[in-house]
Amino acid sequence: MTYLRVPFVNVAAQFSAMEDELVDVFKRVGRSGMYVMGEEVTAFDKALADVCETKYAMSVGNGTDALILALKALNIGEGDEVITAPNSFIASAGAIAAVGARIKFADVGADYNLDVDSVAAVITDKTKAIIAVHLTGNPVDIDALKTLTVPKNIKIIEDAAQAIGATYKGKKVGSLADIACFSLHPLKNFHLLGDAGFITTNDKTLADEISLLRNHGLFNRDESAKWGLNSRCDTLQAAIGLVKLPHLSAWTARFQAIAKRYHHLLEQHVQCPVWSKDNTPVFHNFVIQVDDREKLMTELTARGVDSKIHYPIPLHLMKAAENLAYQIGDFPVAESQAKRILSLPIYPELTDDQVDQVAKSIIDILAAH
Amino acid sequence: MTTNFYPQQYKATGEFPINHNYLDRQFADYPEIMKKVAHVIEQGDYTLGSAVDKFEADFAALNQGKFGIGVGSGTDALFLSLKALGVGEGDEVITTPYTFFATIGAIVTAGATPVFVDAGADHNINVTLIEKAITAKTKVIMPVHWAGVPCDMDAINKVAKANNLKVIADACHGILSQYKGQGIASVSDVACFSMHPLKNLNVWGDGGVIVTNDEALAKQLYLIRNHGLIDRDNCAQWAYNSRLDTVQAVVAQHLLDNKITNISQKRIDNALYLDQALKDIAQVSMPERDVNKKAVFHLYMGLFEKRDALQQYLQSKGIDAKVHYPIPMHLQPAAKSMGHKKGDFPVAEHIADNCLSLPVHEFITFEELDFVASSIKEFYR
Repeated sequence: MTYLRVPFVNVAAQFSAMEDELVDVFKRVGRSGMYVMGEEVTAFDKALADVCETKYAMSVGNGTDALILALKALNIGEGDEVITAPNSFIASAGAIAAVGARIKFADVGADYNLDVDSVAAVITDKTKAIIAVHLTGNPVDIDALKTLTVPKNIKIIEDAAQAIGATYKGKKVGSLADIACFSLHPLKNFHLLGDAGFITTNDKTLADEISLLRNHGLFNRDESAKWGLNSRCDTLQAAIGLVKLPHLSAWTARFQAIAKRYHHLLEQHVQCPVWSKDNTPVFHNFVIQVDDREKLMTELTARGVDSKIHYPIPLHLMKAAENLAYQIGDFPVAESQAKRILSLPIYPELTDDQVDQVAKSIIDILAAH
Repeated sequence: MTTNFYPQQYKATGEFPINHNYLDRQFADYPEIMKKVAHVIEQGDYTLGSAVDKFEADFAALNQGKFGIGVGSGTDALFLSLKALGVGEGDEVITTPYTFFATIGAIVTAGATPVFVDAGADHNINVTLIEKAITAKTKVIMPVHWAGVPCDMDAINKVAKANNLKVIADACHGILSQYKGQGIASVSDVACFSMHPLKNLNVWGDGGVIVTNDEALAKQLYLIRNHGLIDRDNCAQWAYNSRLDTVQAVVAQHLLDNKITNISQKRIDNALYLDQALKDIAQVSMPERDVNKKAVFHLYMGLFEKRDALQQYLQSKGIDAKVHYPIPMHLQPAAKSMGHKKGDFPVAEHIADNCLSLPVHEFITFEELDFVASSIKEFYR
């Protein structure tokens, strides 16, 4: 029997579909000789703010830098504590360490997002912020978190790296809390052709601070108000972003349609994603849970279906976390999920036939066990 | 809404428009580059990968170093080098106040304190003043090969060795420079390069490379530029994300394979031509050209009397003369808490008050340089 090959990602397909338009961007920006900042970046920032329904958006070098700059803009550093989820990508925790603050993990719920009671249990006098990760593109219950943070003046940073376009109670992610960080990395739902990211906020002071921090603290060509680094979205990438952005809602709808199809085909057979009625997730990943994950993964590969684990080792058990002195059992939900989760291929170019084959393969493999 | 004053747009419109920015002309070559870019894009290879690996190795070799680490920018190159050497809170780094913001920004962001030593007649750090600035807290000397002119590396390495300090060279201007016949990456522990669009070897956005001969240090740098990941799922240490985009590595590789030697030589030829043309003007003073130092003239910078008026005059004639830069680092608003004042570093201040850079890039012709020189003579007449 021959199977349809189903790769986990296919970023090249999106490029091919838009190749002429994108090559034109290369030529136009290339001939302008303007490769850093400038009008395209200003226009892209404005367009991103519109997408997220915020007053301000500042593009930066990548999603990790977005988190680092957000923490710095909030004046978080040495002696402060920041809470985040142990099942996220490394950058959510790495950014906290990068500014000199202490990483505090809290466990997650069945939706893979921070569990409010677990967060409440680790808040101390030193807690300055929570990095609330909208994992897989499904928004965190921000209002529940705010019942904890508002009375104590703790800031919430949305880690929306996987969640562009998702909504919570009708509001766009990026506009839900004090400040939000996005990634435009090639594997994201909305991506550019290299590393890039952006920050959104409605707070002018924070926006101005980020604008300084992303460009050497410069407030004109010759004067710096604050020592810092540079973290800019290349003008070329911003111009590419402007060409791609009009497609975002159609792509998002396709992610959601694929998720719906997977859900329909698989819900009787495996544990499918759960989310609150308040949310419209964008399914950066479609994550299922099964008992014998490794076996399923291997047999899927044999049938031409790629799958991945996001992520097999929770952050508190990484070598990098040794000095934080966590141990196995500290976050039982995240740890249990790490052993059971499997991400299925999901991207706009994936066909219904491919989705059906992935689902059928899973059902067949599980039935044969 | 938010600050975005870059880039400084100056479009020369005179009879002889001589722009500082020549990238539109460099881009004339785009079909060939685009073919190569399209190739990596079709593979879906947008971060790291073999195109980056190859470029890193070739770039290191070009500057006579063993290991190249592609990063997000020249600024990040400096910052990551400091972090990789364990520099942080409580440490001091000796550098010059006559530099670009990134040198100091990297030191401060790493948590360390910049300690300034005045510039010398060559516009680089005055090596005779370094020893005096060393304290028990000094960890690193960060000389800047300004304009692509190598610093006095023998003297710097000697004082570094005697005091057990590391030398991280800010070689952002110095691609293909040489010191006593040695590639610029081989005369310091670490050399940090920028490939910002106006650098001698550039990409079409931000990019940088760190070059070192120290294998352990290189390994640490490969780790910390990519989240501390030892493989997809294992993070050995909390770190950063600062990668040279694969697409940009392809652009840089094209220039490295086909052009850099010519770019460099053309800048040198132009600079030496201009030296001759300007040498009898009393109001102009160029730094002495040292035969031990191969300068690559990322900037052709001299000191000019009545600088501001001259700059205005040249711009009115369509010549994009620029000031790199008018305010030394110790007098920046960002330096306020350091407590420096005017007069603390008189040479750096003198350079900042009088310096002017004239275009010598690869597309400038001798005929155009004659026009530049005669315009300057006209101004002083």
